[in-house]
Amino acid sequence: MPRPGFVLEVDRSTPSIMFWRGENFSLEKLPAGRSRVIYPPEPLEAIKDIDGAIRHALLNPHDQDPLPTQLFPGMKLTIAFDDVSLPLPKMRRPDTRQRVIEAVLDLAAAAGVDDVHLIAALGLHRRMHEYELRHALGDRVYDSFHPRGMLYQHDAEDHDNLAIIGTTDHGEVLEINKRAAESDLIIYVNINSVSMDGGWKSITTGLASYRCLSHHHNPETLENTRSLMGHRHQSALHTSVWRMGKVLKDHGPKIFQIETTLNTDMFPAPFDFLSKREWEWTARDRATFLATTKSLNRTPIKLARKIFHNMEGPHQMTSVQAGDTDAVHKITLEKVYEQQLVDVVGQTDILTMGIPYVCPYNPDGVMNPILVMCMGLGYLFNMYRNKPLVREGGVIIMTHPCYRDFNPVHHPSYIDFFEQVLADTTSPAEMSRKWEKQYAEDEWYKHLYRTGNAYHGVHPFYAWYWGAHGLQHAGKVIIVGGDPATVRRLGFTPASTMDDAFEIASDVVGRDATITHLHAPALLVADVQ
Amino acid sequence: MKRSAPTRLSSVGPLRRAAKVGDAAGAAVQALLKPTKALGFPYRKPSVPKGMIVPPNVSKLGANFETGWARSTPAKAARRMVTNGPMHAFVRAIASPEIVGLDRLADLERMKETPAVIFAPNHHSHVDTPLMITAVPEPWRSNLVIAAAADYFFDKRVKGTLAALTLNAFPIDREVTSRKSSDELRHLVDDGWSLVIFPEGGRSPDGWGQDFKGGAAYLSNRTGAPVIPVFIDGTGSIFGKGMKRPKAGKSKVVFGAPLLPIEDESTRRFNARIEAAVTALGDEALTDYWTARQRAAKGTSPKLTGPEYNGWRRQWALAEHRKLGKAGQRRRQNRRWPDLG
Amino acid sequence: MSRLVFSRKPARFAMARIAGAIMPGAGASVGPLALEPDEQLPLPTSEWVRLHTRMAGICGSDLSLIDGTASAYFDPLVSYPFTPGHEIVADVANPDGTPGRRVAVVPVLSCVTRGITPLCPACTVGRINLCERAAFGHLSPGLQTGFCADTGGGWAHQMVAHPSQLIDVPADFTDEAAVLIEPTACAAHAAARYTGKETVIIGAGTLGLLTLAAITATRDKVRHAPIVVTARYAEQKRLAKKLGADVVCASDEMPRYVRSATNSLVFGDQLTCGAAHVIDCVGSSDSLQQALRVVAPGGEVQVVGMPSNVSLELTSLWHRETAIRGCYAYTHADFHTAIDVIRQHDLGHLVSATYALKDYTDAIAHAAAAGRRGAVKVAFDLRGS
Repeated sequence: MPRPGFVLEVDRSTPSIMFWRGENFSLEKLPAGRSRVIYPPEPLEAIKDIDGAIRHALLNPHDQDPLPTQLFPGMKLTIAFDDVSLPLPKMRRPDTRQRVIEAVLDLAAAAGVDDVHLIAALGLHRRMHEYELRHALGDRVYDSFHPRGMLYQHDAEDHDNLAIIGTTDHGEVLEINKRAAESDLIIYVNINSVSMDGGWKSITTGLASYRCLSHHHNPETLENTRSLMGHRHQSALHTSVWRMGKVLKDHGPKIFQIETTLNTDMFPAPFDFLSKREWEWTARDRATFLATTKSLNRTPIKLARKIFHNMEGPHQMTSVQAGDTDAVHKITLEKVYEQQLVDVVGQTDILTMGIPYVCPYNPDGVMNPILVMCMGLGYLFNMYRNKPLVREGGVIIMTHPCYRDFNPVHHPSYIDFFEQVLADTTSPAEMSRKWEKQYAEDEWYKHLYRTGNAYHGVHPFYAWYWGAHGLQHAGKVIIVGGDPATVRRLGFTPASTMDDAFEIASDVVGRDATITHLHAPALLVADVQ
Repeated sequence: MKRSAPTRLSSVGPLRRAAKVGDAAGAAVQALLKPTKALGFPYRKPSVPKGMIVPPNVSKLGANFETGWARSTPAKAARRMVTNGPMHAFVRAIASPEIVGLDRLADLERMKETPAVIFAPNHHSHVDTPLMITAVPEPWRSNLVIAAAADYFFDKRVKGTLAALTLNAFPIDREVTSRKSSDELRHLVDDGWSLVIFPEGGRSPDGWGQDFKGGAAYLSNRTGAPVIPVFIDGTGSIFGKGMKRPKAGKSKVVFGAPLLPIEDESTRRFNARIEAAVTALGDEALTDYWTARQRAAKGTSPKLTGPEYNGWRRQWALAEHRKLGKAGQRRRQNRRWPDLG
Repeated sequence: MSRLVFSRKPARFAMARIAGAIMPGAGASVGPLALEPDEQLPLPTSEWVRLHTRMAGICGSDLSLIDGTASAYFDPLVSYPFTPGHEIVADVANPDGTPGRRVAVVPVLSCVTRGITPLCPACTVGRINLCERAAFGHLSPGLQTGFCADTGGGWAHQMVAHPSQLIDVPADFTDEAAVLIEPTACAAHAAARYTGKETVIIGAGTLGLLTLAAITATRDKVRHAPIVVTARYAEQKRLAKKLGADVVCASDEMPRYVRSATNSLVFGDQLTCGAAHVIDCVGSSDSLQQALRVVAPGGEVQVVGMPSNVSLELTSLWHRETAIRGCYAYTHADFHTAIDVIRQHDLGHLVSATYALKDYTDAIAHAAAAGRRGAVKVAFDLRGS
């Protein structure tokens, strides 16, 4: 029976707590009497008969007719699927997308549908490598559709293949992939790792253009998104997405949304101790931890990254629902919160978190300093409902080595962003005004996005804006163990040890500050009262 | 000087000497046995009373071959050494297998108590058996029993022992499975052993498949073990029926999704379902997944038994068919004649 | 009263070369440079005057001479033994020996100083830096004062000069400001070619910083595109920013800046567009190769830093019709421009350290490591002896 998440009040008997630190870990002692650690709920049980559950969902959708009745010969069918930003780490084969798409294709074959296109809904993310597509879709689907040109990746800069669906009453233009817009039916295959995703967001961001995205991917919207993972009505991002969703519903093609949730069983044995509570580590877990950290200290960083990124998580499906987008997403969110929600009372002065080696924007790549900020202030800070875990003006402390290291194939515009934009300003509003247009329209970045495996030129800005709410909210941000010059370039304060960080923080929050540590991953959403 | 006989017939001498030796040996043996003559039965064979008919001895060969010892722990350990080492290398060398579809077994592998399963591949060559043993993943590989033709593998003591030891073979009749065999197989499955049964009953005689017989379906119905359809491509060209020597080539093993008997489904119907699944897998192996699904849905998957021709046209069509698969991929380009299209 | 003399001693020259390869500036102690008692030089003609040196700077070309890395090209243009030092501020000696007016010296030994008539074509149009007679006339061969056996040089307490070489130093200038006049004149000469389009200055040592200063002081009106300066050390970066650079960055970041500023695409290492004008104030293989990679088609790489034997891949030069053009020394007009530049930017504070002549090994070591040690110009202080 999986135990729910809970808040541990740190006392003198509490052992050191494990912090992620990029491609390694550290154990930090939190001061007794004024610290608390939030532990995520244990992974829920996966569905036993996954293929059966998928088939049931397709034949019994919510608020829509069963899928076989919606398929007919001669129709234009488009299957759009979530890209490789998730799940993290990647799933063992067969991936959820493979299972769902094969089930859908079985029904499509039975109905005699010939015109099927599979589109990776990656928005402005990078194109996936062949091995990543094969992992997500399976070799059978890849080998059947890719050679025929029926499996491809969304190109937001291919203006001949974009179509405007309509405009919201706030003047936001919904512009998406043309093939999808002109289909008789779009089937969207989603994996909902976090409550931010899914619902109308799937198509209105995954198949959208820069023009469309800039309506809500901007500092003002994101500063008013409180939070990305939490209350939707307080999220300006989501209210904008809903407006676009309404336009899509009223004027767009028919959509059959298939959403799935995953449990948080993220680490394969023998690393499953990483999500265990420290005082429950067995002798074997402790030995593994010591062996791992010591050998990682000696491993060259490239090899360490390879080891981590090759890890396949045993997480599995906990629910699958299909049909009308609103009805389906409601159930999905309930399931996500069931897995991830933890009740927390009150805010503290300081929030600490360990930043792992991967975030949705560097699968199989390098976590560059900008993504450290994005993961910390964007994702982890926003893992709350109601109120942030740290009080306004409080201090956020993260641990990560913050190497000035970039993957030039995946993140070319990030390198220039770090060297040019951050050297000039770290303010989201300022950089949006002064620099964003240049990066969004740069021909070279567009070329690399369209033909290489690079994130779009404007993407580092989006990564930075993701943390805009966190930047605004925190009084100070400290990175422990990071390269000092790099940390200062980000606009944060470097510290060598956690104690030094607390010392620096005391300038802002006083000597007896209260501390919350977010013990992630695994994923959790704190419901703060 | 007296000359008794012509010297040319000197062979007569040795013959006589041999006869003399024989006599002496016979006399010696008789002298030894002389005491037992007096003893009679049980030292000597009994004589049969008048009017009695002696029932024939139950032969310990063929379907009655005892193979239980081959499933004991020391035999298993010995077999594992053979399988993981020499057999694996041999299969790789002679068949260069490409093994796909294992993700379809992922759900079964994930279960805490992995159930025993029944693999049902098509059959073209003796290489199929070691190929299956190499291709089947753990945890089934170490607990695999191969159902082998009793009249072929178990007609001689030595052959039967070797088959049981190295392949963990179990004798099964080709046509109609005897009650005893099927009960024993059922018990094996209940004990956790997985089976490999070739539903065609034997290797293809002409390169095209044969009709599936109901053994696998029957057993699955009785034991509840899932049937895993498997399609093996390319082994017919490597060491098909009638070939004198194996010829190294490429092969492909495609695993299909597990099939469970539906409530109240007859063995015949289930067998047809299994055959359709292997047929679809064959289509998938030779073309691609989507084409196979579309044709399976329409019922137009190309049959494994091949076209309805006889004679030379059947062989001709076989060559065309083989070009689509692994046999069509040469390992080394040693073409000596120009390709005139 | 002493002077530094550079003599023709091949063995010592070889040792200097080795020492200089290990540690820049080490050639001073083991090489042919030696401290000797001062000798009064004869005046080559009655026109010539004596100078009492006040301050003399150490230049990059002096350093390469001392470390043995200067090109053999200069052999016919130098006469031994000579006293180095061509960045000079001195007092003209009155006939009674008292110090007279304060002057900066234009070191170029052109036709006029050599008493050659008619003037060579270059001198006729005032381009004394391109004088064709640097090894002829009544003076021994010598490119400049500081490379000639007959004239002496800055690194001594006294020397001789032709009146045409003397430029009055304004009274409000400090000696430090005055010693920078000659290097700033080089910079002003380079800055004259500034077009106002995208410009990159590679290297922020003395030459790079002064070139930047000359551009921003005299040609700021035509500037309509950014000036990018590459600097390695923090002090250099600070000064470059202060002197008006639009962008200051490390040398490996510079191609990316130029790429985004000029909206260029990339072929391999080569920018498709690039900066119209690249000023290389370093003069090494790497800096010139980098310059070729970032210069626009049809653009110009101006080599201000003295190169010796460099190895270059010139295919991009041919393919994109770009030019590499040398830039040497100055004309008289450049000296007057230099004075304005120094006044405008208050460049006197770029003299980071001064040394007495007897401490010449320290001075030269400091000058050789100037960037790393946070210094720009190192000079000899010869006043008060």
